[in-house]
Amino acid sequence: MKETGTNGRGIIDPSFLESVKKFPGGDKVTDCIQCGVCSGSCPARPWMDYSPMQVLRMIQSGLKEKALSTSTIWICASCYACTTRCPRGIDIPILMSNLKHLAMEEKVPAKIRMKPLFHKSFMETVQKHGRMYEPEIFMKVADKRDLKAIIHSASLGLRLMRKGKVGLPPKVPESNGFLVALRNRNGGKNS
Amino acid sequence: MGEQPQVGVFICHCGGNISNTVDVAKVRDEISKIDGVKVAETYEYVCSSPGQELIKQAIKEQGVNRVVVASCSPRMHLETFRKAAEEAGLNPYQLEMANIREQCSWVHNDKVQATEKATDIVRGSIERAKHLEPLEPEKMKVNRSALIVGAGIAGIVSALEIGDKGYQVYLVDRSPSIGGHMAQLSKTFPTMDCSSCTLAPRMVQVASHPNIKVITLAEPIAMRGTPGNYIVTLRKLPRFVDEARCTACGECAKYCPSKVGNEFEAGLTQRKAIYIPFAQAVPNKYAIDSGHCLYLSKGICRICERFCRGKAIDFEQKEEVLDISVGSVILSIGYEQIDPATYGNYSYGLHPDIITNLQYERLMIQGIHRPSDGKVPKKVAFVTCVGSRCSEEIGQQFCCKIGCMNAIKEAVLLDKSVPGANPWVFYTDVRAHGKGYEEFYADSRNTHNVKFVRGRVAEIVPNGGKIIVRAEDTLLAMQVEEEFDMVVLQAALVAPRGTKDVAQIFSVPVGHDGFLLERHHKLRPVDTSKDGIYACGCVLGPKDIRETTLEAMATASKVATFVGKGEILASPKVARVDSSKCNGCGVCLGVCPTKAIDKHDGGIIVNAISCNGCGLCVPQCPLGVLDLNHCTEAQLLAQIEGISKGGTTPKVVVFLEEETPYASVDLAGQTRLSYASNVEIIPVPSVGRVGVKHLLRAFASGADGIALVEGDDGPLRGNALRDYVAKLKKAVAPYGIAPSRIMSTSTTIPQYDKLLNFFEMLTKNVTNAGKVPGEAREKICKTLEEAS
Repeated sequence: MKETGTNGRGIIDPSFLESVKKFPGGDKVTDCIQCGVCSGSCPARPWMDYSPMQVLRMIQSGLKEKALSTSTIWICASCYACTTRCPRGIDIPILMSNLKHLAMEEKVPAKIRMKPLFHKSFMETVQKHGRMYEPEIFMKVADKRDLKAIIHSASLGLRLMRKGKVGLPPKVPESNGFLVALRNRNGGKNS
Repeated sequence: MGEQPQVGVFICHCGGNISNTVDVAKVRDEISKIDGVKVAETYEYVCSSPGQELIKQAIKEQGVNRVVVASCSPRMHLETFRKAAEEAGLNPYQLEMANIREQCSWVHNDKVQATEKATDIVRGSIERAKHLEPLEPEKMKVNRSALIVGAGIAGIVSALEIGDKGYQVYLVDRSPSIGGHMAQLSKTFPTMDCSSCTLAPRMVQVASHPNIKVITLAEPIAMRGTPGNYIVTLRKLPRFVDEARCTACGECAKYCPSKVGNEFEAGLTQRKAIYIPFAQAVPNKYAIDSGHCLYLSKGICRICERFCRGKAIDFEQKEEVLDISVGSVILSIGYEQIDPATYGNYSYGLHPDIITNLQYERLMIQGIHRPSDGKVPKKVAFVTCVGSRCSEEIGQQFCCKIGCMNAIKEAVLLDKSVPGANPWVFYTDVRAHGKGYEEFYADSRNTHNVKFVRGRVAEIVPNGGKIIVRAEDTLLAMQVEEEFDMVVLQAALVAPRGTKDVAQIFSVPVGHDGFLLERHHKLRPVDTSKDGIYACGCVLGPKDIRETTLEAMATASKVATFVGKGEILASPKVARVDSSKCNGCGVCLGVCPTKAIDKHDGGIIVNAISCNGCGLCVPQCPLGVLDLNHCTEAQLLAQIEGISKGGTTPKVVVFLEEETPYASVDLAGQTRLSYASNVEIIPVPSVGRVGVKHLLRAFASGADGIALVEGDDGPLRGNALRDYVAKLKKAVAPYGIAPSRIMSTSTTIPQYDKLLNFFEMLTKNVTNAGKVPGEAREKICKTLEEAS
């Protein structure tokens, strides 16, 4: 195995590709021929700093830091337009979500502040209640400094509540088997 | 065997290559004690002239009638020594080589162990040599003619080449005219020649050639016979038009009321049920499409008959079946293209202006226009890699090889024929690998205004009269979305439907990609695995016209060499049957990979020309009446016994297929890689030659472990090998032989690393298992004694 080094593109971590290949669906990452179908198909592409194809290239090249700090991994909406058309059948969204986990584990600051916080809050809420509970997520995610955004979200919440879409207090699912299994996953750690 | 075997053994020092590691004198002394060894000598270089002289003298003067040369690999010098033996009056098949260089001195360092192993190897060869029989290759006359299946450019070129050499050619095509795909093309890259102007004169030449007989509307349905003397059965469909009377005036088609999509125009226009495929068709005669003719399908009409002035319409014609005797066969059935509608994102079939490359070729000849409204398109997208370069489950794994150049050619054609044209090519990687191709690509950018976007097209969306193409420009890392007048898809080339049937009829193999498989990728690229049967053109894999022509000429040369000799020699290493004992059960028929065995007169008969000597049939015969020349039961059992005796323990006997894995082990020797010296090798034509009896004999004589190694291209492949070995393991288990003592693998020549790892694992397994217990050995010996 080559030693860690740089080659003008950034810091190369030779073990990165190997560790990504161990992710579910990661074994195919070296099969990417950089054709660009994923990126041409991606509806969220205009908001990404790097195209999904480029993120795959970063993985192939061992550019761990660069890949983990892209906004691409956080913007991916897992719509699967890319995978549907990928000629090599690579599951790109699952790679993206694994890179998200890795970025959080490695504490790589996300380009979009909201996203990791939202993911974390979502998982915490679901683990606590066994299902989605919007008001709690809102409380966790809201930027306390941005009053305008809070008012906007609160008024949206009130409207949803009036229609019965959001309730107070949280509804607990009848069967909690899944919930227990979810809590026990990873020793109850958030991930 | 009338004469008593008198073995002469010649051990080579190989100038130290052998003698530095193996104590050759000790080997000589050891093996001199063996019964039947008349002469045992060592010599510095046995392959030198004085060395060969030693052998000749022993044969002529000392009454030696079997020779064992213990030296290098038989792949190196077998022919040298055989020739020497023959010159001294000994049948060359009564000479045996013991490989103590590549398989011993070069791979072991311990002198004692290497000497012990060399002794074992030579002992095995001596025991085998005692049973060697004189063999003569069989001679057969060859029919000096060829049948060519498929009359596209490949078939036409080979037909002309073979016909010009003076051999009879039968050129068969299933459509009403010869010409194939090339007749449909407008221009060809990179020279921009008119395709039909290049092809048509050759079609005419074929039709008028004295040595070529064109048979249209026909296809093969069966083949029998042997290389050099095949009989191919053709089914010839009726044309319903008398070829002698038809003048191709076209009156019939004018009045025929039944219309169908025109295949030649790629479905863009319609033709009648009575039709001529295209203006330059050869033969230039009309044909009736029985599926769409109102009279033939519904019993009404017969209008064509009324208007035909030459009275050429003949509804009485019937399907014919004819046998053609030929010496060799060329398969050149061409290719098909995938249906782009397989991939929803290309919207093929949803908009008339999203077309395939073949449709575009026809539009170019008709005068370029949009199928939807007849307007001239200005902005056209050419999309490559439609269904190519995919993973196995998604599409074709290979590169279609012509898509890039074809797209560029079509883009240039647009620029040349439409003022203000704006052609775009969306590509994955431009593969411009042929003579003049890169220059053509450069010219298209510089002088023909072709825009290139590197990015596989993500989606094509019909938008009213226009078509939107979306892709990522991967070089800019930006998405592009453009509106076009027309979109042309370069659909992947695949093996034509019916390739499998053709392969089955002629018993030739089909590769993983669905195309026919050549015998050797580099050195025998137009040979199939069956002698006398060749293939050329796209049926072997996608390629352009130039390469197809080259292959067609190569096959013509191969055919001329094959049928030109007038007779062929067949290797005498073939299966034989004791017909007095055979009951004709037919088990062997199912096992034979070359269909060389036929039922005959209550028993079976082995065709010596077709048989490839793999020996798969021998262990399968329930009565044991089959045997294999030059690897007979007696020879193999004697060698097993000889090699398994003595030597280091635990002893591992490896049965190595004599082509691929044997060469691979030789390669390991040449690289001087080391492995355990208790691994001892017996070459066999295929591990399928080795049966339960042989394993038992090995264990009885001292072996503690056995390996079976077949080549990836050997007679027993993949699952067949696994299943066979599983059966063997099961059969020896009752004798107390653990399955872990028997291992198998398959390999290719360059993978010697894999083989050495395998040997290492094998020795480890056998060492862990220890010696075979004495009682198990006794039990096996007892069984073998009872059986004999």
